[in-house]
Amino acid sequence: MLSHKARKVAVLGVAAALLMTGCGRDAGAPAGAAASAVPIASGKATGTITVWAQAEEGAALPQLAKDFEAANPGVKVNVTAVPWDAAHNKYQTAIAGGTTPDVAQMGTTWMSDFSDAFEPVPSEVDTSGIFPGALKTTEVAGTHVGVPWYVDTRVVYYRTDLAAKAGHDTFPTTWDGFKSLAKDLQTKAGAKFGVRLPVGEGDSFQSMLPFPWSNGAQLVNEDSTKWTLDTPEMVDALKYYNSFFEEGIADKSPATGAGAGEAAFVNGTVPMLIAGPNAIGQLEKAGGPGFADKFSVGMIPKEKTATSFVGGSDLVVFKKSQNRDTAWKFIQYLSQPEVQTKWYKLTGDLPAKQASWTDASLSGDAKLAVFGDQLKDTNSPPAVTTWTQVGAAADTQLEQIIRAGKDPAVAMKELQSTADSAGTGH
Amino acid sequence: MTSPTETLTPASPRAETDTPGVRPRPGKRRRRIRPQTLTYVLLVLGVVATLLPFAWMLLGSFKTQGELLRRPITWWPEDPTLENYSQWFTSLHIDTFFFNSLLVAVVTVLGNLLFCSMVGYVLAKMDFPGKKFLFLIVMVTLMVPGVVTFVPLFVMVSKLGLVNTYPALFLPFLAGPLGVFLMRQFMTGIPDSIIEAARIDGASELRIFTRVVMPLCGPPLATLGILTFLTSWNNFLWPLVAAQSQDKYTLPVALSLFSTGQDATNYGLLLAGSVLVITPIILLFIMLQRYFIQSVAATGIK
Repeated sequence: MLSHKARKVAVLGVAAALLMTGCGRDAGAPAGAAASAVPIASGKATGTITVWAQAEEGAALPQLAKDFEAANPGVKVNVTAVPWDAAHNKYQTAIAGGTTPDVAQMGTTWMSDFSDAFEPVPSEVDTSGIFPGALKTTEVAGTHVGVPWYVDTRVVYYRTDLAAKAGHDTFPTTWDGFKSLAKDLQTKAGAKFGVRLPVGEGDSFQSMLPFPWSNGAQLVNEDSTKWTLDTPEMVDALKYYNSFFEEGIADKSPATGAGAGEAAFVNGTVPMLIAGPNAIGQLEKAGGPGFADKFSVGMIPKEKTATSFVGGSDLVVFKKSQNRDTAWKFIQYLSQPEVQTKWYKLTGDLPAKQASWTDASLSGDAKLAVFGDQLKDTNSPPAVTTWTQVGAAADTQLEQIIRAGKDPAVAMKELQSTADSAGTGH
Repeated sequence: MTSPTETLTPASPRAETDTPGVRPRPGKRRRRIRPQTLTYVLLVLGVVATLLPFAWMLLGSFKTQGELLRRPITWWPEDPTLENYSQWFTSLHIDTFFFNSLLVAVVTVLGNLLFCSMVGYVLAKMDFPGKKFLFLIVMVTLMVPGVVTFVPLFVMVSKLGLVNTYPALFLPFLAGPLGVFLMRQFMTGIPDSIIEAARIDGASELRIFTRVVMPLCGPPLATLGILTFLTSWNNFLWPLVAAQSQDKYTLPVALSLFSTGQDATNYGLLLAGSVLVITPIILLFIMLQRYFIQSVAATGIK
């Protein structure tokens, strides 16, 4: 296997090569926006389609594909599982080589990278009742080019036993309350740090975004034409975030190794962290039997709103598809609430359709119910091609604020000018 | 931290038992042994440091996910399980991936041994105009990183209609500049007189190549074979992109596919898979180790 570094170099190389080969592309056609969706042909689905899906999804999808084949005699769905950590490369080269499948699973943050290769969603695909934050991830330059499949959002995990020891029986809902809980965990419940907050890793800035969003900040303006990174809302949120580090409530250099966050949570040294739904399983495994009763989850603390990050995956159809009608019909099938519930039971992926959440398997679980509530108020980084570049610059600024004591206002001014020169690709 | 003391104890008594037996010039003797003992201690420390990650991998492959996530870490599996291995052999069809990896590696190795030595022979022993220039071109391609040619190569393979076939997995790697360089350097050292003698005896060029030159090239062929096998066996990105259905995936792709999720890794499965992936390499190395060290030494002298 290639080392991590080598793979990073490879990714850069692929990206560079794509940039070079991509120069002449789309010279005449207007970018995305003007493309209109072609309706799906009526009648039964026919023929064969190829679907690429990542890791666990790829392993479980054949079971749903079987149901779809049974309902549509003569249809064959070929599922190929693609490793998560290299899927982005695989799609990139497949698009360059013209060997794309009919349907694919896209990470929500990848939508803008490849949007040129996706078909606009036909109006027959019912997207009503999908969590609005998730739906927003599929919109690139005003056109929907994918359908949310499953969702993922971040909430706060905390140790109920230690919180009780620190004198907190309920989880706080405000910024002040959140900070005092973190402080009390440290001073009264014997924790080394009150909360684990990301700093100095890849995507730290992205992981920190629930705080600015909850303070009313936005990364770009309404029509995604201009970055808005140096607003007072953004700066204030960074000051709040930074105060955790300044006051020693959060570790400036948290251990980043595999499972380090989970381990510190389990042994009580850092009894709060912000994570997605699969941390439930990870923590229960790391903590052993009975640990499930010792922790709970709470919504992102509220300042103006309580807005979290929404991720997950969208389903797309490639323009090169030879059987796009059946491809869209398969997506229609996967979007049905009862199929989404079944999918949750197979994989643990949270349904994008709100109607699926009424099922007892989801609504009956206290922890998952919090996710259901949190999903109603979410945001995501803008689907613009320069976000990767701006996000990386933001990670550096964030690290300088926290570790080198840079003034948040100055840092965000600099970030704004970096972002301005990168533009939003519009 | 137990290892240094462990290694010290067996070494020092020997030094003490030796000295009284020999008697004369004990001081001098001791001075000669000390640095040697130190060398051994350092060597053993080096070996331990090298083997530690492998030991962790092997022991970890018998642990459950819960134990692997726990801190402080445990060395010896508390509750050893074969679950990780049985998963690879039953539900994940490791035999398919193993076969693919082996097929691709073997064909790539054979291709390199044949083509690289042919080109190397021509560049070393034949005279024709533009030879130096051709060799220069080969050397220049050695400087081009593979990632630069990655996408164009894929576009080429896809235009040939080879995507998702076995040839797509090995065809681009059947000859490489490094192999050509290695073979040419070694063959340059073969005396011209042997080749001339064969030519006078009426042997054709092909016969000289196969019967006279190739039998002399054992060491560089072994090196080239091992290096190519390793590269092919470990290759991840190309087979991932060129194989588009699971039945054409190779071991590294399968390893990544089944053990790492979007933001959760199944460490036990990953470690067990890694053990299975590196075992053939270690066996191969042990079998060929004699040739390998010989040839590294031989090419080093040149």
